[in-house]
Amino acid sequence: MKNFEHFNARSIDEAATLLGRYGGNAAVIAGGTDLLGKMKDRILPAYPEALINIKTVPGLDAIAETDDGLSIGALATLAGISAHPVILEKYTALAQAAGRTASPQLRNMGTIAGNLCQDIRCWYYRAAQNRFSCLRKGGGRCYALKGDNRFHSIFGGSVKGGCVAVHPSDTAPALIALGGTVITSRRAVKASDFFKVSVNRTTVLEADEIVTAVHLPAPAPGTRSAFMKFALRQSIDFPIVNCAAAITCEGDAVTRARICLNAVSVVPRRAAAAEQLMAGRNIDETAADAAGAAAVADAEPLDGNAWMVPIARTLVKRTLLACGPDPAEDESS
Amino acid sequence: METKDITCPHCEKGFKSPDEMKAHMLADHRNDEVPPPEGHIRLTVNGKAYALDVQPNWTLYQLVHDHLGLTGAKQFCDRGACGSCTVIMDGKPVLSCMILAIECDGTTIETVEGVAAAGHPLIDAYVKHHAMQCGYCTPGFVTTSKALLDDNPRPTAHEVKIALSGNLCRCGTYPQHTIAVLEVSQKLTAS
Ligand code: SF4
Ligand code: FES
Ligand code: FES
Repeated sequence: MKNFEHFNARSIDEAATLLGRYGGNAAVIAGGTDLLGKMKDRILPAYPEALINIKTVPGLDAIAETDDGLSIGALATLAGISAHPVILEKYTALAQAAGRTASPQLRNMGTIAGNLCQDIRCWYYRAAQNRFSCLRKGGGRCYALKGDNRFHSIFGGSVKGGCVAVHPSDTAPALIALGGTVITSRRAVKASDFFKVSVNRTTVLEADEIVTAVHLPAPAPGTRSAFMKFALRQSIDFPIVNCAAAITCEGDAVTRARICLNAVSVVPRRAAAAEQLMAGRNIDETAADAAGAAAVADAEPLDGNAWMVPIARTLVKRTLLACGPDPAEDESS
Repeated sequence: METKDITCPHCEKGFKSPDEMKAHMLADHRNDEVPPPEGHIRLTVNGKAYALDVQPNWTLYQLVHDHLGLTGAKQFCDRGACGSCTVIMDGKPVLSCMILAIECDGTTIETVEGVAAAGHPLIDAYVKHHAMQCGYCTPGFVTTSKALLDDNPRPTAHEVKIALSGNLCRCGTYPQHTIAVLEVSQKLTAS
């Protein structure tokens, strides 16, 4: 790796000040598992002048129940989240999502904030030495549109004229399904509004803004949640499709459904049609199947990725059934 | 020229001028030990304490392998995708190729050399069960298994597989690892 300045921040304020001082040419490092890969491969035209370590900020990894829910510090590791008794019981989808991310070692290193703020995996974008200066890097075109797009968006692009790279986070859909909020050094942003694609950007964070925590509201009585992931390998792999759902029932009937797919579109995607379809119905094979179909009804696959559509459809169905009274075994894992 | 904020090296207070900072130092930190400069780290590796000056861009792998000469951990992918560089940091298996050495101040590291020097039965069990062919991935598997057994002395076969799911072996020695780890688990918990 090319060298850079390094700072151990002692507070979020100090880290934000340092970020501001470098005006977009510095990066925050926590687990580092995404950032260091990008730097080693020199995938971006610009290389960070400085890294600001926030692992030295005390208390940022705390997980604590609050009056109205649960607060998870930015530095809480994926391993810690996946094994946390309260999260396993009440925010099951998030525990499952964190537990299916990457590999055991990476889960010991990677943090919740890093998993939300990670960059896209498009193979043109990630090619070493900035080989494809694509739209996302301010270049002239999207190489994936006409090229090999077998792992790209089935719901269209976002940047002008393309960028069909999918958002790869496993925890993001869980957070959105559970109605979570991302707390930053400046504001609170609903998890569903946190992701955004523009040139060289995957979140709404400003250059000197830092995620400090995520907050989950206490689930309404009768709520169950689940997460499922389809990947080519069982471990150390990014999702082809993942899905999280949080379903609230009164008796057997669904009163509220929140379903979120990820890795199928440029940002995590709420399956609004599927959510509406579930309202008032029981969680059974027929309803779940119809919801799966509704979730992908408006899919517009590219030349190479139509195969992802039935996977997304099936994953919605299975995730819903996993929220039911007698969940089936997770066949995807 | 723009005035740059000066941050106190002891606490996080910021100051506009060197004089203000000096006054603060005399008032609040007169008797404090001088904090080490960035890049100076203290850590324990295989039970031995080190105080080292490191560059920001050194990974923990470079530190233990290239600078401390502990060549057990192997660099395969250098991207966090294979587990062959696994070391144990504060009791947890982590990937040394994806950790900056400069951020390891105050940590306790155990490498496969430490596992062997302690006479851990995993080493013999790996030999006995031929849990390797070329052997390049083996130190990563051994350290991961050691951390598992420390944390969970009686894992099930499934738990062993999950714990080792971040370690790749191009030679396909996977079944032997479960056999070796479970045998060691029994041996260690029998007494
Ligand atoms: S999908 Fe996005 S990141 Fe990939 S080549 Fe196209 S513009 Fe670049
Ligand atoms: S060399 Fe570190 S994970 Fe492969
Ligand atoms: S023994 Fe050769 S890679 Fe595992």
